[in-house]
Amino acid sequence: MRAFGYDIDELVIAHVLLAVVPVILGLVIALPLGWWAHRSAGARRVLVPLSGALYTVPSLALIVFIPVLLGTPILSPVNVGLTLTIYTVALLVRSVAEALDAVPATVTTAATAVGYRPAGLLFGVQLPLAVPVLTAGIRVASVSAFSLVTVGALVGIQSLGTLMTDGFQQDYTAMVATGIVGSVLLAFLFDALWLALGRTLSPWARAGAGV
Amino acid sequence: MIEFRDVGKRFADGTVGLESLSLTAREGEITVLVGPSGCGKTTSLRTVNRMVEPTSGAVLLAGRDVAQGDPAELRRGIGYVIQQAGLFPHRRVIDNVATVPVLQGLSRREARARAAEVLERVGLDDALAQRWPAQLSGGQQQRVGVARALAGDAPVLLMDEPFSAVDPVVRVELQDELLRLQADLGKTILFVTHDIDEAIRLGDRVAVLRVGGRLAQFAPPDELLAQPVDDFVSGFVGRDRGYRRLGFLPATALRLVDLPTRADANGDTAGPAVPGEWTVLLDGSERPAAWLGPDGARHDLGSVYVTDGDDAAADAAGTLRGALDAALSSPAGRGVAVDGAGRYRGGVDTDDVLALLDRSAPR
Repeated sequence: MRAFGYDIDELVIAHVLLAVVPVILGLVIALPLGWWAHRSAGARRVLVPLSGALYTVPSLALIVFIPVLLGTPILSPVNVGLTLTIYTVALLVRSVAEALDAVPATVTTAATAVGYRPAGLLFGVQLPLAVPVLTAGIRVASVSAFSLVTVGALVGIQSLGTLMTDGFQQDYTAMVATGIVGSVLLAFLFDALWLALGRTLSPWARAGAGV
Repeated sequence: MIEFRDVGKRFADGTVGLESLSLTAREGEITVLVGPSGCGKTTSLRTVNRMVEPTSGAVLLAGRDVAQGDPAELRRGIGYVIQQAGLFPHRRVIDNVATVPVLQGLSRREARARAAEVLERVGLDDALAQRWPAQLSGGQQQRVGVARALAGDAPVLLMDEPFSAVDPVVRVELQDELLRLQADLGKTILFVTHDIDEAIRLGDRVAVLRVGGRLAQFAPPDELLAQPVDDFVSGFVGRDRGYRRLGFLPATALRLVDLPTRADANGDTAGPAVPGEWTVLLDGSERPAAWLGPDGARHDLGSVYVTDGDDAAADAAGTLRGALDAALSSPAGRGVAVDGAGRYRGGVDTDDVLALLDRSAPR
């Protein structure tokens, strides 16, 4: 589909990749860090405030600063991807730690008592039980990533944000509106997907109490 | 057999959990650790499966020091039941129970078959197997907890206040169930509770612990009730220990008296058999159904004295407690005795029970 002189499909695909890949990557990085913060009070005292502080760095500053730091081309999507990965890690470290904290002590005690080793306990019991809290964190990270991708358009990285920046320059309201509506719709769509995935992975969470 | 040899536990912050505990839980028996909170009963229990590592002394399981070898392996060979069951909320009932067999290396299919067997054994309906733990009542969850501990076929069970979170009626049901299972399985059970009644009801031997894990007395329950060694123990076992001890005294020497009876196969309740006397009304299969008063009116039977119940549930069977209770609760002043099948055997006279009691009183 073409409109306003752009291949919209291409913009949508670029937008989705730039938003989704960093969320998944950020989750993979945040899991061990969050686990560490859950296990060690010392690690938590450093990791949680640090990740909170990371989130306060302006996105545009990061996107511009990363090429200076890593030597990537200024127009590379990697700059946006890395920025969003950092934000996701910043959001999820605390989420992961809190999701693991929320697993009832009776359950972890029972798991240890029946003979789980630490790795089995983490992957067989703690992480599955952390899914509902973790899903909530991922959804926040995902929505935030979908909106932040558009900032990349300011430095020329293609996404639906490009429709906004270019439309603004051309004083073309329909183009700006298409960019905004499109990116909001994508954010909603992926939010629903994360929610559905979380629910599929935790069917027990909706089993009501009582008989 | 579980043997504690001078087991001590000093925590990192300097508090003493256990000073130096020595006791032996015999093979095939229920040994209860009871005491006020802070007496180290849970700590002692957890030294057996190394969830707490003692700072001195050793715990021997079937003669072997548990400190040797891999703790996870050790735990897979010991059943563990925790307060509030500690079921895995994300696994269906059947998979909760199958956890240990799976950890022991069985295929999921074999483990589920084993789990289904054990669920049946603890009296849980097949229909519950596919439920999530959150969909069960507290009592059902606790049964699943027991089933999970049994599924690994371990000869040793550790039970940490397993029934304290359920209401009293369900608690008694679960206790009966445990006694029934134990009669079949003959596990070596170490049971922790703060409830002295539970300790006395379940324990073959009861260890009363003071704060710091110091053993105050270790004895069979009747001895504990009859001869508490000091004020701490007698205070802990409670005021009505004399009455409760009756539950451990056999009433085999009790002479049953003859009572006037009347068969009532047809539900015919006209007039007492013996004018002016209380008469036991029997149904078609010789089971007492009611009292007939001297005026011919029907009265409740009261509790009956079961002379030789083989059902563990009737824990007062054949004891002075059962006999006295029957006599005291009867409207006729004399209790009705039945055999294990509920058939009429005779009457219980309060004076006879008290005379027996007098003779068995500890000197």
